[in-house]
Amino acid sequence: MPALFLNLLKLIFIALIYLFLWQIGRSIGAHIGPSQSVRRSKKGGELVVVRSDTIAGQRFPIGAPAVLGRAEDADVYIDDAYASDYHVRIGVQDGSVLLNDLGSTNGTYVNGRRVTVPTALQKGDAVQIGKTIIEVR
Amino acid sequence: MTRNAEAALLAAAAIVASMGVSLVNLASGTGLDAQVALTFLVFAVSFGSIHMALRRWAPEGNPYLFPIAAFLTAMGFTEIYRLDPELASIQRWSLLLAGAATTAVLLFLRDEGVIMLRRYRYIFLATAVLLLLLPLLPESWPLHGAEVNGSRLWVRLELPVGMRTLSFQPGEIAKVLLTIFLASYLADRHVAMAQTGRKLGPIRLPEPRQLGPLLIAAGASFAVLVYQRDLGASLLLFALFVTMVYVATGRAAYLFAGAAIVGAGGYFAYRAFDHVQRRVFAWLHPFEDFADSGYQIVQGLFAMGSGSLTGSGLGLGRPDLIPAASTDFIFASVAEEMGFAGSIAVLAAYGLLVAAGFGIAIRSRDVFRKFLAAGLTIVIGVQAILILGGVLRLLPVTGITLPFMSYGGSSLLANMVLVALLVRASHGERT
Repeated sequence: MPALFLNLLKLIFIALIYLFLWQIGRSIGAHIGPSQSVRRSKKGGELVVVRSDTIAGQRFPIGAPAVLGRAEDADVYIDDAYASDYHVRIGVQDGSVLLNDLGSTNGTYVNGRRVTVPTALQKGDAVQIGKTIIEVR
Repeated sequence: MTRNAEAALLAAAAIVASMGVSLVNLASGTGLDAQVALTFLVFAVSFGSIHMALRRWAPEGNPYLFPIAAFLTAMGFTEIYRLDPELASIQRWSLLLAGAATTAVLLFLRDEGVIMLRRYRYIFLATAVLLLLLPLLPESWPLHGAEVNGSRLWVRLELPVGMRTLSFQPGEIAKVLLTIFLASYLADRHVAMAQTGRKLGPIRLPEPRQLGPLLIAAGASFAVLVYQRDLGASLLLFALFVTMVYVATGRAAYLFAGAAIVGAGGYFAYRAFDHVQRRVFAWLHPFEDFADSGYQIVQGLFAMGSGSLTGSGLGLGRPDLIPAASTDFIFASVAEEMGFAGSIAVLAAYGLLVAAGFGIAIRSRDVFRKFLAAGLTIVIGVQAILILGGVLRLLPVTGITLPFMSYGGSSLLANMVLVALLVRASHGERT
């Protein structure tokens, strides 16, 4: 009888262990891998920071309109003293990639020209924010 | 609220530990005693304080790493208690200390922590080298090195009160500090190091200048091997260097170069050192000399074999027959008493820990955090593979601790701090 009891306890212990791992595994599965925004990157192309002191080489997917700027809570953080807190909005609207300057202090330049009205971006366009240059790919 | 989930999972791990202890007690006929409550209390206090620190100072940090660590600690602790309750009570103190140290680290890193880690990298490097050299201090000093089982990796401090000695393995802390240094160094250099050098047929060789740090790393690992006769630590250090350079540059040439160096170094070590020869012989032919050199491996294999599917039950097997059952061979003890089911659970937990760690690295946008998370994960993963491979006779026994499970305070403390750094690296990441 005690042997049977101990055997039962042993199985309960193992079951408890697996219950624990199951809980963790399920949650980690949802956590692993690139974040949602990165996964979307294939469709709308991406922005690549080509010139910057600190964030060169970073890539951001183009999806729903996102705000680029120097603010902590901007969707894409631009580490540049000449960028405004909420500098420009870039995203897919009605099937094309649109850029909206949000009244930035130092302006936004597309291929060297300052833009003040919503502008459609093509692949290969260079967007300059302060000293930072971002390319559409 | 993921932090609440963390609290629940940590509590569950404490329950696993105390239930394990009560099963051991039931099997030996002592019934439930204070040990069960004490174990639950220690787990609750230790991981509870870490949890509160995370809530306060890293609320967005990954909430699943510490529950896995707590689970592995619980599994290891149960088996240590079963083997020797005396050791278990020391391990409980170690766990309390590790909990306090981890909380302190989280407090220390609370604001600009990760940036600070990056900035003061040479302090970490110097400390790590110093720690690695500590075991070479002569025996007559109050703080001196000591040789255990032919490896000189212990430091003993003779306390002035009560003739007690405090011993620790500085190499365990050094590996964490070295990872921080490497992550910081590579975060500044990885672009240059990834540059293509000359071509040799289809293989693109890295610039010789960029191979320099790698060769220094190989030299340092080899020095550890020669002076401290510590096979495991030297392999771990070298694997860490090579894989981190690979992660940073994405150039497989570094991996091949590293493998070639390990091959050549291994061959040389095999020819030059009899302790390496003995290990390799025991690995390849354990049954030829099962009474002596192969004894540990053979006992481990028998233990795992007799465990079958669900194990003999806690306290009902004979893991005490394995030499070093509570440290290097703790996995064999678990496999005997909790069976295939229990050992797969342990392996799965390491797998989840490594997956979560690399998940943090993948999602990090900041290169330093990325390399730091990858490096810390590599340390845990490689260390687990080295010793588990040794126990399962897939590799020669290298004699390093199994993270979180093995008996030993330095190892527990270092690995808890390591996980704290991982969680801290995942906090404040803009995803």
